Amino acid sequence: MSRPRHLSPATAAILRAVIAAIRPRGHGFDQPIEEEVLLEIDRSLPFFPRSMQRMFPLGLHVLEWSPLLFTGSATRLTRMGREETERYFDGWLHSRLAPRRMLALGVRALVYLAFFQHPTVLEAMEVRWGERVSETVRLRAATLSS
Amino acid sequence: MSLTNLAADFRDRIPEYALEYPNVESGRDARSEWTLVADAIVVGTGAGGAVAAAILAEAGLDVLTIEEGSLERTETFTTNVLDMVRRLYRDAGTTMILGRPGIIFAEGRCVGGSTVINGGMCWRTPERILESWEREEHLPDIGPKAMEPYFRIMEREVNPEVNRSDTFGRHSVLFEEGARKLGWKATPNLRNMRGCAGLNNCAFGCPIGAKQSTLVTWIPRALRAGARLLADAQVARVLFDGSRATGVTGSFVGRNRRRTYRFSAHAPMVVIAAGARHTIGILKRSRVRNRWIGKNLTTHPNAKVVGIFDERLDAWRGAHQVHQIHQFLEEGILIGYAMIPPGLLATTLPGGGAEVAELMTLYNHMFPAACLIEDANRGSVRLGPDGEPQMFYSLNRKDCETAREGVAKTTELLFAAGARRVLLPFADLPEARSIDDVRKIRERPAQPHGIELMTVHIMGSARMGADARSGATDAFGRVFGVDGLYVADASLFPGPVGVNPQGTIMALAARAATRWAESDVRQLRRRAAG
Repeated sequence: MSRPRHLSPATAAILRAVIAAIRPRGHGFDQPIEEEVLLEIDRSLPFFPRSMQRMFPLGLHVLEWSPLLFTGSATRLTRMGREETERYFDGWLHSRLAPRRMLALGVRALVYLAFFQHPTVLEAMEVRWGERVSETVRLRAATLSS
Repeated sequence: MSLTNLAADFRDRIPEYALEYPNVESGRDARSEWTLVADAIVVGTGAGGAVAAAILAEAGLDVLTIEEGSLERTETFTTNVLDMVRRLYRDAGTTMILGRPGIIFAEGRCVGGSTVINGGMCWRTPERILESWEREEHLPDIGPKAMEPYFRIMEREVNPEVNRSDTFGRHSVLFEEGARKLGWKATPNLRNMRGCAGLNNCAFGCPIGAKQSTLVTWIPRALRAGARLLADAQVARVLFDGSRATGVTGSFVGRNRRRTYRFSAHAPMVVIAAGARHTIGILKRSRVRNRWIGKNLTTHPNAKVVGIFDERLDAWRGAHQVHQIHQFLEEGILIGYAMIPPGLLATTLPGGGAEVAELMTLYNHMFPAACLIEDANRGSVRLGPDGEPQMFYSLNRKDCETAREGVAKTTELLFAAGARRVLLPFADLPEARSIDDVRKIRERPAQPHGIELMTVHIMGSARMGADARSGATDAFGRVFGVDGLYVADASLFPGPVGVNPQGTIMALAARAATRWAESDVRQLRRRAAG
């Protein structure tokens, strides 16, 4: 599997830990695609606004080092267990401080977007949109010629 | 079979696969700074810029069209949402309008602009709006009768038509049934298309070529008339000689969206049509002074309302939004619906991973509807510290009341159509379990906190006016106080139009460009020469 091209190894490690904690699970959504979710986010990074390209890695590092500030725990995010990370991230999602909340919402959105658009997840959901392309090309050609 | 192979097989039967794009250069290929010269420069290739470019080129001008995005041909489109968002959307769809509440905003960045990624809804401007622009805003020749020939020019090119019933998905049938049960009329949607077969990929580029975006209509027409197109080139500012616009300057955009070499282009006529956000960015960076530049922003906020049905709907199957509810337009409410891909829908659902997973098992039973609000407040576009234009807009009390009523009506329709439960866009009222809960929506305080909104329509940030005190441009997009500088996009609107705006943008651009070609060009050339 390829490596992230735009995220540094340290930033990728933080994002990897967040993905493992907040990814959907159960109900048929147990596909082992964390690394592919990470790579999909990495591919999108150059297309974000320049300010966001700078702030996103910075925000992840704040997330990594903030447990001491917000939870009193001396353990940084990448050293936490999955459930502890999930609780910690949930605290950010529901924070009264808008920048904390916005960062968490943004990361969550990127993870869900990449997760639920993954081909194996779409297949599990029986969303077979791509298969309709050839059918609709033929239908349109027939419509135009009639 | 890949679409490329399919497109080769169907090249003789699907005209969009055989389109030619002569006279196109890409900034990606540049290995040095460039200087270009033309009679007219048009910045942007969306609903405004493409129309202006075609009409000016057909009038005999040497037109140079400049587009920040890439030329992405129909036969390269796919149903891979993330890939298409990166290729076709500005900032991969991550733009926000700042305010209370924040509003998610999406627009195109590719040849064809937002016409490549919209749903293709293509309405004439409501007559009450044109009449008010003429009477109350004192804009000449813009009433329904005066606009008639330009609507016809627009319609001849992009062919607004309604979907055949064999392209309807189950959700479209239910939408119509729900409306009928409430005594409402479901108006068949006019969309710019030829032979839509109901793939429902409109928002990510139409791989079957049915949507008649400017990519497959006005742009090839402009190129056939001799216009040149420079893609992957971002305009930073306008160049001046005194109070006369003489060209533009900017940077090429390389792979991975990095700026590479600089370019400058020179012409006596400069038309900015980069949309109601980036047109303002260019004008403000160019220090064009007028109090209306960047003011008067309107946003048509959309509130999403998702019905969950017992039966399986597969809302991704069947044509995009074949009906709208128009009978509440005078109250500022338009009701429609759209397929939202799983990844995008999941980002808006409440709860953690396990809760979202549970809700997403119902994806094929979900019907995402929405109400569009003709907004009453006005926002602004200002340059941020990085020189990029940022948008600011907050709902006022009237907008909150309209949004609340729009959500209530949309919820009523979904229950009438058979929804078991309805997910609402309110943080404090996330779900309606029965039609009785509509009362709770109407009793909700009219406040902007906790409403989830998005939009794809921004307008009004360089509005037309009778003079420089009441607008940034005259009724034909001529920027007050600067010779040779024009605007031709939704920035011009004095206010929101209440329906999907691309038909209005195209018709206004056709009207303005026809006028420029008739009366301005000779004068500008003479001044440039002398």
